[in-house]
Amino acid sequence: MKKRVLAIFMALVLAAGLTGCSSNNASETTSSKQEETTKQAQSEGKDETTAVTTAASGEALELSITWWGSQTRADLTQEALTLYESLNPGVTFDGQFLSGADYWNKLATSAAGHTMADVIQMDKAYIQQYVDNGMLVDLQPYVDSGVIDLSNVDPSVQEFGRIGDGLYAICIGVNSPALFYNKTLLDENSIEVKDNMTMDEFLEICRQVYEKTGYKTNLQYNNGTSWMDFYLRSFGEATFADGKIGASEENIASFFNLYKIGIEEGWLVDPSVFAERTIGQPEQEPLVYGSDPSNMSWCAFYFSNNMASITNAAPEGMEIGITTWPSDDAVKSNFLKPSMFFSVSVDSEHPEDAAKLIDFWTNSVDCNKILLGERGVPVSSVVADAIAADMSATDQMVVEYINNVVTPKCSAMSPASPNGATEVYDLVYKLEEKVCYQEMTPEDAAKELMTQGNKILESKQ
Amino acid sequence: MKKSMTALKQHLNKNSTAGVVFALPFIIGFTMFMIVPMGMSLYYSFCEFEILGAPKFIGIENYIKMFTEDETFYKSISVTFFYALVSVPLRLTFALIVALILLRNTKATGFYRAAYYLPSIIGGSVAISILWKRLFAEDGTFNHLLQAIGVNSHFSWLGNKNTAIWVLILLAVWQFGSSMLIFLSALKQIPSSLYEASRVDGSGKVNQFFRITLPLLTPTIFFNLVMQMISGFLAFTQCFIITQGRPMSSTLFYSVYMYQQSFEFYNTGYGAAMAWVMLIIISAITAILFKTKKLWVYEGGF
Repeated sequence: MKKRVLAIFMALVLAAGLTGCSSNNASETTSSKQEETTKQAQSEGKDETTAVTTAASGEALELSITWWGSQTRADLTQEALTLYESLNPGVTFDGQFLSGADYWNKLATSAAGHTMADVIQMDKAYIQQYVDNGMLVDLQPYVDSGVIDLSNVDPSVQEFGRIGDGLYAICIGVNSPALFYNKTLLDENSIEVKDNMTMDEFLEICRQVYEKTGYKTNLQYNNGTSWMDFYLRSFGEATFADGKIGASEENIASFFNLYKIGIEEGWLVDPSVFAERTIGQPEQEPLVYGSDPSNMSWCAFYFSNNMASITNAAPEGMEIGITTWPSDDAVKSNFLKPSMFFSVSVDSEHPEDAAKLIDFWTNSVDCNKILLGERGVPVSSVVADAIAADMSATDQMVVEYINNVVTPKCSAMSPASPNGATEVYDLVYKLEEKVCYQEMTPEDAAKELMTQGNKILESKQ
Repeated sequence: MKKSMTALKQHLNKNSTAGVVFALPFIIGFTMFMIVPMGMSLYYSFCEFEILGAPKFIGIENYIKMFTEDETFYKSISVTFFYALVSVPLRLTFALIVALILLRNTKATGFYRAAYYLPSIIGGSVAISILWKRLFAEDGTFNHLLQAIGVNSHFSWLGNKNTAIWVLILLAVWQFGSSMLIFLSALKQIPSSLYEASRVDGSGKVNQFFRITLPLLTPTIFFNLVMQMISGFLAFTQCFIITQGRPMSSTLFYSVYMYQQSFEFYNTGYGAAMAWVMLIIISAITAILFKTKKLWVYEGGF
């Protein structure tokens, strides 16, 4: 009997060992992930101990903060945090940053384990989900008590962070959709781009550029759905409405048709080009990166706060211009977007101190002199005016664009994305792909988005 | 009191107690990091669990959805099967060929063995995956090599749905090192008297290989096949870093789709259900391999 138990036990050990070796690759990633979570858990643990000392002496305090973005952003953020540390002795920060997609995966796992950082960067696409599950702190009390001073902020800007009755996120910068283009190339070939161009005018430019120079066009391929939303807005529709797909099949089909036209006429960047790139990385954007005009684009659909990183990534001698995304109805399509939100997580031991940091971010001129609008134009009008002089020519171009081009002709932003939106985005990517590889007609793609998309959203309500 | 103390002492001095104590770290670790998480994942697979909120029990709905509605699920299964069934035999063949070459003892053999083993250590890493991605880019080394031998190739190997999976398979085949080492040690155990006897009988090299080497290697081939098959089905990094399933899900591995469902779409319950289906598939394949064992594996002595 004993022998048999031993045999079974040995077999179990062996089985565990087998899966252990064989899952080599998978476990590698999990272990690194685990490491991250334990690291976070440790820092949380540290938080707890420091919490005790804070209560006793009112001094040492460590706050954790996470965000996504580029190296430039990380450097600036770190510098601003150091400034805060020097102004508030005893406060130290544990800052962590990740690239966009990884950020949300990690945030979800840390939310499940209740080990979220004190201050987290939030986005419109996810905020609903986090609020629904009670993961964020209502900041209204801190605004009422004056910890967060929003007196210099346009009230409509802060509406973005309002979900239901609470204020769950403070917007820390405003931006808007912006079409970056290769000004040098267009000037050389005397092709003119004007603000608020219509769809037909835009397509005409795409054709001209392709004909004259061989450069193609990238219609925000597989990189977010803001361009689709922007296009649908010109018809007075939106991607989502009332937890459903909010646009008509006909208009969605006409959106996918743009890709079909591009492929058939040859001016659309071939989808195979993107198989080799990290999509969404400004440095690898076909506007600034490529070996040949056939895999480069004369323009890029981005948001205005990316101007600096695109300009930095541009090869020497390439001047980058900024204009609006094309639309047949500029007022309906254009919008001001809070480029970044800061939220305080329910896992925070020190929500008030976290709120103080957000106030600093919003109202401190010195802090924003470091950041210089990297997350968008500062929301406080006082701060925005004060830092204008310190801004580079590129940053000033962005401010001018926001103030003089978009602000006069724009409407309210589409509401926060419903639960399940990320899965719908993935569906849109797959459909774009199929249309570009000519495996699907735009009409079928639209039909698929209506049925599959609504099914996904329904299952998530 | 004293009596119970001696009883305790006696108990502690028993052989079995020592065994239990020494095995305890493993037992605790195994329970905490294998049994408990597996139990949790089994429970989640019957739940609607959005990772942020609390799990809600929904019975076998996840499984029903998987088998009746989810086309991507079937797509990822077929991709994974294709990948495993093509890459594993290729890798083993390659490993065996290299092992046969490296069997001869020369001064450089040690170096070559180490060099060929290297890919299986570093091959699963993110760095190699990124390197691979550049290697097969439109303006990458592979196309440049083709151009150097006169083929004017500007083909996007990763951008075409028929070739992208082969880039991943090639990466898998390249990591033949660990199978090669196992083959090498097995080859060394084949008694040279068998070869000598056959040579006396007038047998050639090819004949020797198919009549002596291969049959005597079948237990090793079987072992390698089972191990590699399991790792083939669990492949993740290559797809996640190099292709992300593109183009058009033609390279979407099962484990990557499972990851997407769990952490990108926040359908963690569904992801857990997918993990259990994968476990059943792998178990079934391993069982089938074991069933066929007596048909082709030589288990006698030398």
